[in-house]
Amino acid sequence: MKIVVCVKQVPATTAEKRYTSDFRLDRASAESVINPLDEYAIEQALRLQEAGAVESVAYLSMGPEQTAEALRRALAMGGDEAYLVTDGGLGGADLWATARVLAAALDKLAPDVALMGMASDDAKGSLVPGAVAAIRGLPLLSYGSELRLEDSVARIRRLNATGYDIIEAPLPVVASVTDQVGEPRYASLKGIMAAKRKPLETWSLADLGISADELHGAALTRVVEVRPPEPKAPTERIEGIPPEEAASRIADWLAARKLI
Amino acid sequence: MSEVFFLAEFAGTPARSAQELATGAAKLAREAGGQAVGLAYGEGAADGAAALGTWGAARVIVLGDSNAPVITHAAAAASAIRDGGLALLAPATPNGRDLAAAMVGLLGVPAFGPVRAVRFEDGRLRAEASTLQGTSVTISEPSDGAPGPAVVLALAGTFTPEESSGTASVETAETAETAETAPADGGRLAAPRIVESHAEGKAAVNLEEAQVIVAGGRGVGSSDGFAQLQQLADALGGAVGASRAAADAGWVPYQLQIGQTGKVDLRRHSAPGGYADSGECGGHQQGPGCPHWRVRRPVRGWRPVCDRPQVDR
Repeated sequence: MKIVVCVKQVPATTAEKRYTSDFRLDRASAESVINPLDEYAIEQALRLQEAGAVESVAYLSMGPEQTAEALRRALAMGGDEAYLVTDGGLGGADLWATARVLAAALDKLAPDVALMGMASDDAKGSLVPGAVAAIRGLPLLSYGSELRLEDSVARIRRLNATGYDIIEAPLPVVASVTDQVGEPRYASLKGIMAAKRKPLETWSLADLGISADELHGAALTRVVEVRPPEPKAPTERIEGIPPEEAASRIADWLAARKLI
Repeated sequence: MSEVFFLAEFAGTPARSAQELATGAAKLAREAGGQAVGLAYGEGAADGAAALGTWGAARVIVLGDSNAPVITHAAAAASAIRDGGLALLAPATPNGRDLAAAMVGLLGVPAFGPVRAVRFEDGRLRAEASTLQGTSVTISEPSDGAPGPAVVLALAGTFTPEESSGTASVETAETAETAETAPADGGRLAAPRIVESHAEGKAAVNLEEAQVIVAGGRGVGSSDGFAQLQQLADALGGAVGASRAAADAGWVPYQLQIGQTGKVDLRRHSAPGGYADSGECGGHQQGPGCPHWRVRRPVRGWRPVCDRPQVDR
């Protein structure tokens, strides 16, 4: 049994971020980290490996060359090997191009489970798992709060409005997990040292048999404008009066605007 | 092709998102000279499909009428929209995202979102999103020659439901289970099935649907404290939400967690009309992208987020 965890490198939440003149995120200026939601996918994969349900855990990412740092950090948490798809033709890749490339790389690696975080911290789309599953023609098990594997079947526990469902599909599958799978581990010093010796392979688009033409310039969308958000109205503070009076004023304020 | 498609989730009745997106699709269709066409799924979709005309849908295609995993409808949805169209509006809910994503994968169409506004300008679709943690507004459009329909993931509250006197014509899609009529590999994509369902409590107001959220964190102190928040939520006609710390403490079930559980995330999944919170120490997490108004009682003193209330309507 083999799991490939897809990992995205994103700007740190606290990093100062700006766009370049062609409306792309200036990655050079922002500190980058593993997408925090992907760390839960890594944790889930490593727990399955420790429980003996999975023999090998590999990581896959797509991005500029410095994305290798994120893969090394993932390898420091555990797992066996990593793959990075990096190519000049992928700059500004949108959802469709990203899913197309990841799907091709996953076809090549042929894992039993392609595992992802439920969303990326920057794009916030939650669309890559479903798009990759559709391109590969594989079952999608999404938003799992737990992933379990048996002989030829994957099951996730997924919250619904009043409880949870167990959803099942035959392997191989594409799956995504939430932050309910358990706190991601920290990399130990031993893990960080060991990660340096683990295999990290780099692939180009040509290695995946994808031509630049096929990707339509890596995007079916384009950004035409970036502007600052509208200024906010000034804050009105209600302080220094009895709670009953404050509550009444807030209720009046909301009611006047037909909000309650 | 001048259809503006929209995904219409049902849970017995049309979800709030279905009402919003029907209204939005009808508005966009008027701008572009087309018609709003719903793709309905979920329990009650077959019986309730015609009602979507109330919010402006001209036509509704029923994808499925069960609570089966939404991905099982992907092949039927792709068949319905594969001849093109101007746009497919999808709710930024977990189910909406899964089905929208499958359309991108199956049809190779552009995707936008999550957006807070969408319109046609000079015949081009323009999608407006809040990016970089609310510090920028980005406007995007399909590339020249990109196939349609463009998939647009719309945050809750992007459109306000407006009722009219219309009725929609209803048809039933070829089902995803009919492998002969499904697009390539739709059969395996459609394999997931629910094998067990567990109820853990009373049916609460669904956070994804809530127009007002009263949220609490560690500072609320106990499940009794959350009972008080429930009273406030009831009075406001809203739902209670909780931080991860409060859910981890066992004061509320995880279904009420606002965060990264796949249920609701104020940053990712929801733009409720109002948001009141109590005893939360969060800062920027609750800041960008969401409520039209908020009332806060933070854990300790005044927090920067309190200086960022918004009233947009």
